[in-house]
Amino acid sequence: MADLISLNSIKRHYDVGGEIVRALDGVDLTINKNEYISIMGPSGSGKSTLMNMIGCLDSPSEGIYEFEGELVHEMDDNQLASIRNRKIGFVFQTFNLLPKATALRNVEVPLIYANISRSERIEKAKKALDAVGLNDRMHHKPNELSGGQRQRVAIARALVNDPSILLADEPTGNLDSKSGVEIMKILDSLHDDGNTIILVTHEEYIADHADRTIHLFDGKIKEDRKTSKRRSVSS
Amino acid sequence: MIGLFWENLRISLGSIFSNKSRSILTALGIIIGVLSVTLMGTLISGLDRTFEKSMAGFRSDVLMISRMEWFSGDVDWWEMRNRPRIREEYGEKLLERSQFVEAVAPVSERGGSIIRGDRRIDSRFFGTTTDYLATNTSVEVEKGRFFSDGEQRSGARVLVIGGDVADGLFPDEDPLDKYVKIGNYKFRVIGVLKKMGKFMGLFSMDNQATMPLGTYKRLYARRGWMTMRVKLNTDQADLAREEVRGILRQLRRLKPTEKDNFGINQSSTLEAQYKAIKLAIGGTGLFITALSLIVGGIGIMNIMFVSVKERTREIGVRKALGATQTMILGQFLMEAVMICLIAGLMGMGLAYGLSFIIDKFFPSAMPIGLAIGSIMLSVTIGVVSGLIPSYKAARLDPIDALRYE
Repeated sequence: MADLISLNSIKRHYDVGGEIVRALDGVDLTINKNEYISIMGPSGSGKSTLMNMIGCLDSPSEGIYEFEGELVHEMDDNQLASIRNRKIGFVFQTFNLLPKATALRNVEVPLIYANISRSERIEKAKKALDAVGLNDRMHHKPNELSGGQRQRVAIARALVNDPSILLADEPTGNLDSKSGVEIMKILDSLHDDGNTIILVTHEEYIADHADRTIHLFDGKIKEDRKTSKRRSVSS
Repeated sequence: MIGLFWENLRISLGSIFSNKSRSILTALGIIIGVLSVTLMGTLISGLDRTFEKSMAGFRSDVLMISRMEWFSGDVDWWEMRNRPRIREEYGEKLLERSQFVEAVAPVSERGGSIIRGDRRIDSRFFGTTTDYLATNTSVEVEKGRFFSDGEQRSGARVLVIGGDVADGLFPDEDPLDKYVKIGNYKFRVIGVLKKMGKFMGLFSMDNQATMPLGTYKRLYARRGWMTMRVKLNTDQADLAREEVRGILRQLRRLKPTEKDNFGINQSSTLEAQYKAIKLAIGGTGLFITALSLIVGGIGIMNIMFVSVKERTREIGVRKALGATQTMILGQFLMEAVMICLIAGLMGMGLAYGLSFIIDKFFPSAMPIGLAIGSIMLSVTIGVVSGLIPSYKAARLDPIDALRYE
């Protein structure tokens, strides 16, 4: 199978008041299509930085980043925006929905930036909301939805443009356990449908949903192992 | 990109209307600025129109000869007052000697009351000749007739009255062949002039009465204050003016070393004065309104900075979802422009309403070019004052923006 993502000795250094912080200090990582990966590690280990790096929100200080054969580390801001728009779906811990827009309009946003016609936009957005089981809630605003429902809207928004990869940063972190289970079920079934998913989490039982777990420590990969399919047993 | 345009329009209107009082306060500066620009423009166009109308009786082919220059820069009033008077016979001489003079009418003038029964009106009356009509094309007899040469020579007590005098003294009867009194003298009304309106909105040109010069001289002054209206057969008023000046210098026996002791007034001198006044009014107005627009623009810029700050996280989300810097720039620029556009339209609407009040004093209407111009100006202010905040929004780092609390 062709590599979807390949990181080659990626470094990301910040200058914080004259002191160099090595958030990522030489990361090598290859991700294939339809993998289900969880990234774990203590706070400050560089999980978020790695996530932002993979999500093309950040550029490496050093190293080579290839995304479907395109060299991300050489891209300018517009190219990064375009790759985020077309190939990456983000799910955030705090949902990050636009508060004044309905669920449907929230899901439409990536399609607007992809310059897709209004009728097609609405059709695709409805389909995405349908896929997360929210077709009866699409004209509600975020404050009229429960936490779980909000995260489902966010997942629909991440998926609406058929991205190559879904990045979920602590997707259950702000949810009660029941909603969390619900969200993980959706992610699992998305993986079963052929999507590539990367999860950042510090919960062992969430990480266990993935097929592969990467442990970060001090900006380096400490452990990269295949995990048993415990989720298929538990769910 | 049309989809993005509508989206930005929608976002900006949403933002403006969800912060109503903030938006109104911000827009106020622009509203006031546009209001004053358009009002100033309407006022000046009204002044222009009034000036043009007022000048109908004094076109570029008319010279007014009098003892004094109307706008004398370097001549003392005292010196002018002691100049020899303008004589009636200059008229014939000018007609005889000048190739440019078509008609001449001496005009003497004084103020007084015209009385009809128990009605009285304070007015001005002129003594002139039948050539007056030839020298002043704005005067038209509406009813009856002007006096004849015979009446002018014999000094008949006949009077051609202006519209205001007719209205004031004869509210519900035909003034023709009725008698009025000026001082102790009785006059027969033989004509009524068509109304000419106010001169620069100041005094009515219809509150006047005209009598034959012969009559005027006999009753009031043999050697009175006189001006002479000269109608030219050419538009080259400056050339004609030099010729007339030469003839007058001969008639008044001035030596080559002596200065003119008379004034030849033309409409262009009046126009030059008017233009200077207009420039002063317009310039001051423009300065004040420009100031208020700048202040308004600063207000917009300020509120846009607030708006960008408030929505930092939203900007981060939008960038994560694929918005480019240009798209974010467009979103906030659109918001600034929409505030200014709405404010501009409101200011113009107010000015349009107020222009009807101005209209009562100076017949005017808001010029369409000015309306379009002021709208374009407000859009420009929106762009200029929104640019820096929008640029700041566009340049935000998506990671920092997403973390912003």
